[in-house]
Amino acid sequence: MKISLKQTLVIAVAAITANFGAISTSYAEAAKYRVAYIARAQGDSFAAWLANAIVKETARYPDLSVTVFDGQSRNDLIESHIENAVQNKFDLIIIQPFDPAIQIDPVKRAMAKKMKVIATNPKFSDDSIPSVDANPYQQGAENAKLALTQVPQNAQVVVLLGPAGNPHSMGRREAWQKEFFDKRKDVKIIDEKIANWNKDEGMQLTEDWIQSHPKIDAVISMNDNMAAGAIEAIKGSGAKTYPLIYGVDGTAEACLLIKDGKMTSTTLQNANTLAEKSLKLAHEMLTGDPKEFHDTIQAELITKDNVDKYIDLHKQLGDIK
Amino acid sequence: MNEKATPLPAKQSPGLGGHWSTLTSKYSIYLVLVGMIFISSFLNPAFFSEANFSNVSRQISITTILAFGQTLLIICGMIDLAQGSVMALAGLLAVIFYKNTGLLVPSLFVGMLVGVLCNLASGLIVVRFNTPPFIATLAMQTAGRGLALLLTAGQNIYQLGNFVVWGQGVILGIPTPVIFLIGVTAFTWYLLNHWRLGRYIYAVGGNQEAARATGIQVKKTKLLAFAANGVFVGLAGVLYMSRVNAGLPNAGVGFEFDAMTAAIIGGTSFSGGVGTAIGTLAGAFIMGFLSNIMNLIGIQSYVQQIVKGAIIVMAVAYDIASKSKRRKAILGEKSPAK
Repeated sequence: MKISLKQTLVIAVAAITANFGAISTSYAEAAKYRVAYIARAQGDSFAAWLANAIVKETARYPDLSVTVFDGQSRNDLIESHIENAVQNKFDLIIIQPFDPAIQIDPVKRAMAKKMKVIATNPKFSDDSIPSVDANPYQQGAENAKLALTQVPQNAQVVVLLGPAGNPHSMGRREAWQKEFFDKRKDVKIIDEKIANWNKDEGMQLTEDWIQSHPKIDAVISMNDNMAAGAIEAIKGSGAKTYPLIYGVDGTAEACLLIKDGKMTSTTLQNANTLAEKSLKLAHEMLTGDPKEFHDTIQAELITKDNVDKYIDLHKQLGDIK
Repeated sequence: MNEKATPLPAKQSPGLGGHWSTLTSKYSIYLVLVGMIFISSFLNPAFFSEANFSNVSRQISITTILAFGQTLLIICGMIDLAQGSVMALAGLLAVIFYKNTGLLVPSLFVGMLVGVLCNLASGLIVVRFNTPPFIATLAMQTAGRGLALLLTAGQNIYQLGNFVVWGQGVILGIPTPVIFLIGVTAFTWYLLNHWRLGRYIYAVGGNQEAARATGIQVKKTKLLAFAANGVFVGLAGVLYMSRVNAGLPNAGVGFEFDAMTAAIIGGTSFSGGVGTAIGTLAGAFIMGFLSNIMNLIGIQSYVQQIVKGAIIVMAVAYDIASKSKRRKAILGEKSPAK
């Protein structure tokens, strides 16, 4: 029997679909409770770390199964995932919102249909939605307090921001304002721009700033990726010394840069702890009555003095080989 | 029915004004570029310097290499929406290959090979199933990104070691990405102007049926255009990962649109059959200088987007208007019998 190319393609697609379906079903049927984890974007390195940590943490709860859905930084897709989770009768949704102001409505609609929901990193402004979150203000404040003593008098600084309207970027920036800029009136912000959490955008902006501002004393970045981009730009300019550079997230790359003396500090937003607390709350909500519906993880300041501990953590996670 | 042929008007000398008009219409995009450099030089003293020109050339090199790929495809009547995703996949595989073997030069070829294979897959879907390139490459965009994320579990790869020489190296004072850009520009220019394949690409994009009637192998030409685009995309992937000193699975999102913008500003026509390598280079420099000067003079991020949009429209409108004027002048003189 001769099979055409079109038929072969159809068979291949059907086989792949059936196979994935089987994996998903058998995994789900083994557990009593089914949890849908909706990640903000699997392409975002922190979100991917959190999603991987959630899956890993699930192994501690034999009565739970978790299915991960990728939101791809798209509000419409995240809304569809929420609706599908309700339709497919999941027992609980853990959502990492992309834009909390937009996702709050579909989440409330799901809750109205008796769906249990937990928000993580970031939480919603509505306290009726249980949450496990890091505190963006504290993440920025830890670095800002350190900078108070490090940034020289009459310093010129540049600021790298996350996406417009992002609550974590705004929370961190607010902390820098209150804990540093309001207290150090001598420091001048020579430029402040959005680099969308991206390393290449942080790099390009810093390359341009180096051309127009020969003296930059500090780079204040709302995350580590953009700070690492600034470091690549400074390295490329042939500079012998590096300005003070602050980030947030505690990524493997930032830890290595701190160890090398190229970056000043960062604060760890520990995805493992977020995952641990999120799954604990989920399990309590499914099996009993939890006492607390909101939990916050503490930001840990990483400097050259304690960076080895965090490099070990990233080695355990497989981020540093 | 007999039609009376209209006699051709006597050929007139264009005169000084005519020469100037021809010059401005033919080289409009380059005049826009020169004007932009001239104005920017007054806006910030740091702009007109060797260091800043080197800076901008390095910054635009990756997008421009992608733009040459889009130029070939658009001239041929096609498009590639998967450039960003395939660039990420190719760059990541090159990084992984390098980290596992330590072989620097072969890693560059791994990147280009991945680019070619992905583009040949898109090309085969286009020519085998008559699928619009928009759909075929959209599918490749999704699949390519998925593969890149699957390969790395969404995590970045750090500590690239000597791999950074591709994107951060300097040879005789010229940044390596700029050397690659010069090479790709020369290659694209030569292909479009001196190779038979270049003429076929123009012919297929201009009128596919007429090209087929003259004996041109349309499917083969399309596949070769995709393959050339694949080489550029793979190379861009290696340069990108090396430049940022990390393997980033989410790299290159939206890069295909920046590449298309450079090609279109440079005079490549979306209807196919029209475009030049040097025009695309000029388009890419216009975009690069625009972004650079706005950062140098400290224009706010939100305002930058508005200004960019407005200037893109103005540059293209000016280019179209001056070309249309030229076309009218030519038709008025040479084809009244039509």
